Amino acid sequence: MRRSILDRKWAGYVVAALSVGLLTLVLKIIGGHVNAATVSLALLLNVLFVATRWGSLPALLASILAMLCFNFFFLPPFSTFTIAATDNWIALLAFLITAVTAGQLSARAKRRAEEAEFGRREIERLYAELRDAFQRASHAEALRQSEKLKSALLDAVTHDLRTPLTSIKASITTLLDEVRGGEPPVSLDLDSRVEMMEVIDEESDRLSRFINGLIELARIEAGELQLRRHWGAVDEIISTALSRAKPITRNHRVELKVEKELPGVRVDERAVSEVVYTLIDNAAKYSPEGSTIRLSARRAGDELIQMTVEDNGPGIANDLRERVFDKFFRATRNGDVTTRQPTGTGMGLAIAKGIIEAHEGRIWIESGEGGRGTRVVFTVPTNQ
Amino acid sequence: MTNQPRILVVDDEPQLTRVLRTGLKSHGYDVRVAADGLAGFEAFNDWHPDLVITDLAMPNVDGLELCRRLRAISQVPIIVLSAKGEEKTKVEALDLGADDFVTKPFGIDELLARVRASLRRAKAPPVNEATQTTLDSGDFHVDLETREITVHDKPIHLTPKEFDLLVYFIRHSGKVLTHRTLLAALWGGNYVEQNEYLRVFVGNLRKKIEADSATPRYILTEPWIGYRFDPGQ
Repeated sequence: MRRSILDRKWAGYVVAALSVGLLTLVLKIIGGHVNAATVSLALLLNVLFVATRWGSLPALLASILAMLCFNFFFLPPFSTFTIAATDNWIALLAFLITAVTAGQLSARAKRRAEEAEFGRREIERLYAELRDAFQRASHAEALRQSEKLKSALLDAVTHDLRTPLTSIKASITTLLDEVRGGEPPVSLDLDSRVEMMEVIDEESDRLSRFINGLIELARIEAGELQLRRHWGAVDEIISTALSRAKPITRNHRVELKVEKELPGVRVDERAVSEVVYTLIDNAAKYSPEGSTIRLSARRAGDELIQMTVEDNGPGIANDLRERVFDKFFRATRNGDVTTRQPTGTGMGLAIAKGIIEAHEGRIWIESGEGGRGTRVVFTVPTNQ
Repeated sequence: MTNQPRILVVDDEPQLTRVLRTGLKSHGYDVRVAADGLAGFEAFNDWHPDLVITDLAMPNVDGLELCRRLRAISQVPIIVLSAKGEEKTKVEALDLGADDFVTKPFGIDELLARVRASLRRAKAPPVNEATQTTLDSGDFHVDLETREITVHDKPIHLTPKEFDLLVYFIRHSGKVLTHRTLLAALWGGNYVEQNEYLRVFVGNLRKKIEADSATPRYILTEPWIGYRFDPGQ
């Protein structure tokens, strides 16, 4: 900020001298209409003005000059520095003491105010600095968290890509060994050869499923899931999923309960059927053989259809019920260690959630009947 | 058949154990598989295999814990299956007493070569180091009493520490030796973090025994892990 000329140090003395002179001149011109008391008050006011603006030393100068002018021009005999009456001496002395004291007091008050102002600015500056530092720190923390998340995701992806690749590579090299002949020669019987090729076939499919899942997830995350909505029947969607899931539910009992006269739903039937299939697949994977998987569909209010898939497995702990919808999260890896490592991709529920939410529906997890097992519930609007 | 070497494969990935069972069987090994460390340890006690191949990340008892438990009761050779990025766990497993590792994905030949080497080392008759006076391994001949070493019949001159390091390498030919193992064996437990000691001594040793120390053929570097000594023919 540019300092004005009035802020200079010497300006206070100049103003003190000029203001006293000017005031004296004005008071002199109005002459006979003012008495000594008025003059002293006016001059005192001037001293206060100088003190509050320029501080104690210019105020002191103003006080002395005002005293001299008061004496010279307004106390008889005029135009001399001598004073005739004793009471005028007292008036002059009182004036001087009042002027100096008032001047010093108001100058001090001004300094205090300035100090307070400086303190306030300092606090503001510190506050701003702290706030910036805090913002920088939390930004860095967020970055670090996101880097950590990225690396955890990368670990999960590489593990899921590498595992089938390892089986494929080991199978292929075993087969190659036999064909190329080695020392000692290797002989694989027909069953072994078929087994190796089956592994290659199955693991290639697994890789392909995983990659498709990745693509689907990427699409959902980019908001590019293209739904082909048609009017469809809920029981058809469920039965499509069930017939596809037949091979994986061979060792389970499946119970289906669909409310009568359900309204049609305007959804992407293929996508919603995929969700149902994923839920059946999970239920079969995580519940004991021979147990029952229950599917149901019913109205929930006027505008929603609610579908559930329930199993008799170990269930999912309360605190994990949100997290299982995170990509690559597998409840059994973090919690229950008594079950075998699941063979899923860790993407099924994340994709299911993406599909349901794209339909303006909701998906969540509850405990199954009697507090046991897992019940996955989702809703889709009927759009009637 | 009783003369077939027995191999226990411990991995939670059923497809891989399927392949390894068939692949190893076709090469004349008797194979059993277990799906986690706990089952692996039980199978070991039950069956007394000649070699254990184990994955590192498994439910229940993981590969590290299995190594620890096996080493407490047995000197059976252990080969660890690990993935790139698991270096820390791999080194831990080797420090716990695993003999070797194979990085996923691997070809069956690579695994078989490690299996053969580990079995060969395990089969070698135990040597009484206190009464042994000479050491012959590949291109190396060592006289432990006069502390003379020849490579390809050419004498080489080593400082006492270099001599000890080379003898340690020769005695553990073919085995992966972690930095920590070497430092603890030659310098003592207080030096296990001083990798640069080792780097300097290995560098000097290579200059003296390798034809070209930039492309060593005897003391091979296992990046981030340690060294492996190949005594040559």
